[in-house]
Amino acid sequence: MIGLMRWSPLARKEARTVITSKGVWLLVILIVLWGYRPSYIGWDGLGANITAGYVQIAGTVLLPLGVLLLSYQSIVGERTSGSVKFILGLPVTRTDVLLGKIAGRTVGIAGPVAVACFVLGGIGLVDHGVFNPVLFFGMVLITLAYVGVLVSIGTAISAVAKRTVTAAGTVFGVIFLPLVLFWTQISTTIFTQVTGTPVNPYEPPASGPLFLLLRLSPHGAYRVVSNWLLGVGNSANTYSHVLTKLEPQTQTNAYVVEATFAPGTVPLYLHEAVGVLILLMWAAVPLGFARYHFARGDAV
Amino acid sequence: MSDPAILTEGLTKQYGSTTAVNDLTLTVESDEIYGFLGPNGAGKSTTIGMLMDYLRPTTGSLRVLGQDPQRDVVDVHSRVGILPDRYRLYDGLTARQHLEFVIDTKRVSESPAGLLDRVGLDDVDGQSVGTFSQGMEQRLALAMALVGDPDLLVLDEPFTGLDPHGVRTVREIVHKENDRGAAVFFSSHVLGQVELVCDRIGILHEGSLVAEGTVDSLRAETTAGSDATVEEIFVAVTDSTGPSAKASSETTQ
Repeated sequence: MIGLMRWSPLARKEARTVITSKGVWLLVILIVLWGYRPSYIGWDGLGANITAGYVQIAGTVLLPLGVLLLSYQSIVGERTSGSVKFILGLPVTRTDVLLGKIAGRTVGIAGPVAVACFVLGGIGLVDHGVFNPVLFFGMVLITLAYVGVLVSIGTAISAVAKRTVTAAGTVFGVIFLPLVLFWTQISTTIFTQVTGTPVNPYEPPASGPLFLLLRLSPHGAYRVVSNWLLGVGNSANTYSHVLTKLEPQTQTNAYVVEATFAPGTVPLYLHEAVGVLILLMWAAVPLGFARYHFARGDAV
Repeated sequence: MSDPAILTEGLTKQYGSTTAVNDLTLTVESDEIYGFLGPNGAGKSTTIGMLMDYLRPTTGSLRVLGQDPQRDVVDVHSRVGILPDRYRLYDGLTARQHLEFVIDTKRVSESPAGLLDRVGLDDVDGQSVGTFSQGMEQRLALAMALVGDPDLLVLDEPFTGLDPHGVRTVREIVHKENDRGAAVFFSSHVLGQVELVCDRIGILHEGSLVAEGTVDSLRAETTAGSDATVEEIFVAVTDSTGPSAKASSETTQ
């Protein structure tokens, strides 16, 4: 227990540093503006619970970008400035440093992000009336867990990178662009290259591996889990896109399990609960890799 | 007899083909003030980096307060205070918050105000360190090193950026800490201060220890003369250079 808590002063310092930064509050404003998307399809599908859907939109694109930008410097920045010598001179292991950084930054970002979610909740309440509070809180919790996963990824990169510019390039070029922004295109291309099967996004093949690939990114997994909670359908696309796909007589380029697979033919690994495992994997695997590297060799 | 504060044997650190510290064998007793001297780039901060487990030795062994600074890092750092070289404080935090961070991590109960008073910073308690002069930063970093009454104080270039009052404060603190029972290991190239502070000095040159002993013994061993200053000893040792100077100093110990 004592070992577990060695990093808590570091975590408190990190949380304070982030929560008093301008960047995190700018992110709050941006994701409120980004998340508020009233739509007929959303209202038809969810009624007043469209407000919980706003939280998912808020968690899309800008949130991952913002969280990664608020995390990538956490360790490499201190290595280059020299302040890491204070932390590493204290009675903590290097693993404690990683955990303290991640816990502190997660709290420091998740707090303001929760504020953004509740602002959206307030707007939704006024606009659309009373929503299901359990559903709404569930969406907030999943989104905050996603923040934790992203902080873990950003901090892991920060612990391994030797230079700040390398860390910035990696979070942008290896995480944000491919895994958040272009993952659908990348995963369908990979699928076509490997299997030789072309993918028409309007009529995708009922392929388990293709649908699994689409949800293997942290972003895809977050949307699978949040769509599960919203009850709109089993998909790595945004909830409104899923609702559109499941409307009769509509054509759209979303990958929705219920629209593609015949009932009873859905592979078990496409169950939404697997999305939770994928998210956990994204929190743990980069961190384990970073711990391995950061605990070895020179730290300054 | 307690363990030596620092014990290194054959300690070597290489970066590719460059040898920063070469076969360093050094003992710092638990009750002494040891001055670790050397020109810029001699390997002083690299050695301190290995003592603090910032850096990992290429070869050689290392004990700090009788323990392995890598494997027993939590135990060792509970008993060590470090004033690093080339650090940066946290601009967003106040002086008090810096100290509270160290106090909380070391799990001791000390008053930040008392620590600030000891280093002569008593009127800046709640001030953000973003506004600090270099001398004030150095005093705060020293106060952070003093948290928890460490058994070993490691001070890397403690006189950097200090005015004469600050230099005197550091000197007085080093003596008080030593009187309390702490070993003090500090690196410096401000040689005039060294003689006033140290029980023993070691001179590092191009990664190797080229001379070690009390100032008096080094006067006797080198060509600098019986009334030489530390600066003259330093120049004599690092100019003539080479391990031969070390050999001569070791034979007479």
